[in-house]
Amino acid sequence: MKLYLYGIIDSSNQTEESIYGLEGSGVYNIPYCDIGAVVSEISQPIQEVTAGSVLEHETVVEKLMANFTVLPVRFQTIIDGRDNLLSIMQSYYRDFKDNLERVSNKFEFGIKVIWSADKMKENIIKALNKEQQKKLEPASSSGKKFMKEKFEKYKIDKEFEAKADKLIKVMDIFFSKFAAEKKLTKLKTENLLLDAVYLVEKPQESNFREVFEHIKSARSDFKYLFSGPWPAYNFVVLSKKSSLLREPEQTNLFDKVTQSQTLVGVDII
Amino acid sequence: MITSGIVETDTAEEFIEEIEKSKDALPEKIDANPKTVEKGLAKLVLTLIELIRKLLEKQAMRRVEAGSLSDEQIENVGETLMKLENKMEELKGIFGLEDEELNLNLGPLGDLM
Repeated sequence: MKLYLYGIIDSSNQTEESIYGLEGSGVYNIPYCDIGAVVSEISQPIQEVTAGSVLEHETVVEKLMANFTVLPVRFQTIIDGRDNLLSIMQSYYRDFKDNLERVSNKFEFGIKVIWSADKMKENIIKALNKEQQKKLEPASSSGKKFMKEKFEKYKIDKEFEAKADKLIKVMDIFFSKFAAEKKLTKLKTENLLLDAVYLVEKPQESNFREVFEHIKSARSDFKYLFSGPWPAYNFVVLSKKSSLLREPEQTNLFDKVTQSQTLVGVDII
Repeated sequence: MITSGIVETDTAEEFIEEIEKSKDALPEKIDANPKTVEKGLAKLVLTLIELIRKLLEKQAMRRVEAGSLSDEQIENVGETLMKLENKMEELKGIFGLEDEELNLNLGPLGDLM
C-alpha cells in the first residue's frame, strides 16, 4: 500500500477533525514515539502535477497547522508502505524533533520586491557620466576600446549591485526585528530585487505585517508581494543522510539530500 | 486561528513574469542521450570556460579600477579578452547554445554563475 506523505507533526495523536487529501482519501497520523507522519493512502503515483492537486496537498498542511507544528514535506512524496515510513521516521527522528522544536509556534512569510532595473541603471549611468572618468584614455586600439566598454559596464553593474545591497539591508533591518530566521535572495532576476522568506513567531505576526506596510508606503515606486502565513517550508534542515535514499520507492522525499543538509519543504509561491 | 496562507500583491502578473524568468535561468540537467550527448558535453565544458572567462574579466576590471595596469597591459589584456569572447560566441553558435544555458545548479550552493 502506497502512502502519500503530507508532513511530520509534533503529535502522535490522531487529528480531531476529518481531513481528506488527494484522491479524496482520509488523512491520518502514523505515530512514531511522540511525533507522527500524516498520510493518506494513494492508489497510483501522481501522473501529472495540477493546480488542483497542489492545492489539495496545501489544504491538508494548512488544516494541520491549525492544531500542530508541521514540517511540510515536498509535494508528491509517496512512501511504499507503513514499514518504510516508520523506518524513515526512525532514521530521522532526532532531526524531525529538533526541527519541530525550532519552528514551533512560528509561521513562514514570503516577501518579494520588484524594482525597475532599467530605471535604476539609467540613473546610475547619469550619475557616472557626471563623474570624471579618466581611468582609461580615449580608446585608440581595438583592445583598449574593448576594455573601455567592459569597464563602463563593470562600473554600472557594480553600482547596481551596491544599490540593491543597500536597499535590501534597510528593508531587512525592519523585518528582522520581528523574525526568528530569514533567507534572502538578492536579484534573482534584474527586476526581482528581493525574494525573502522570514520565520516569524506567531505573536509577532501583526508587527511583521505592520513593518511590511510601512516599507511599502516608504518606497511606493517598488512593487511588493506578501504571502503567508505558511508552514516553515524553507526552514526545515536535516543533517542526517538517509540510508534509504537509493531505494526508488522513497520518491521525492529527500531528493535534494546532501551530506551537509537537506531541505524538506517546498517553495509554493 | 487563521492559518490559511494568502498572497497579497497589486501586480501579480509582474511577479509571475519575474518568477518564470528566474526559473528559466535555472539550468536543465546535462542531456546525455546518444543523440544530444555532444551538445550536453559542450554545454558543460563551455560553462566552465565561461566561468573562467568571467573571472578573468572581472579581475582585469578590478585592476583597471585600481590603476595597476599600464597602457600596454590594458591593450594586451583587452585584445586577449576580446578574442576569448569572440571564440566563445563562435562555439556557442556551433553548438546552438544561448548565454542563459551556460550555468550549473550546484544544489544548496546555488547557481555557478
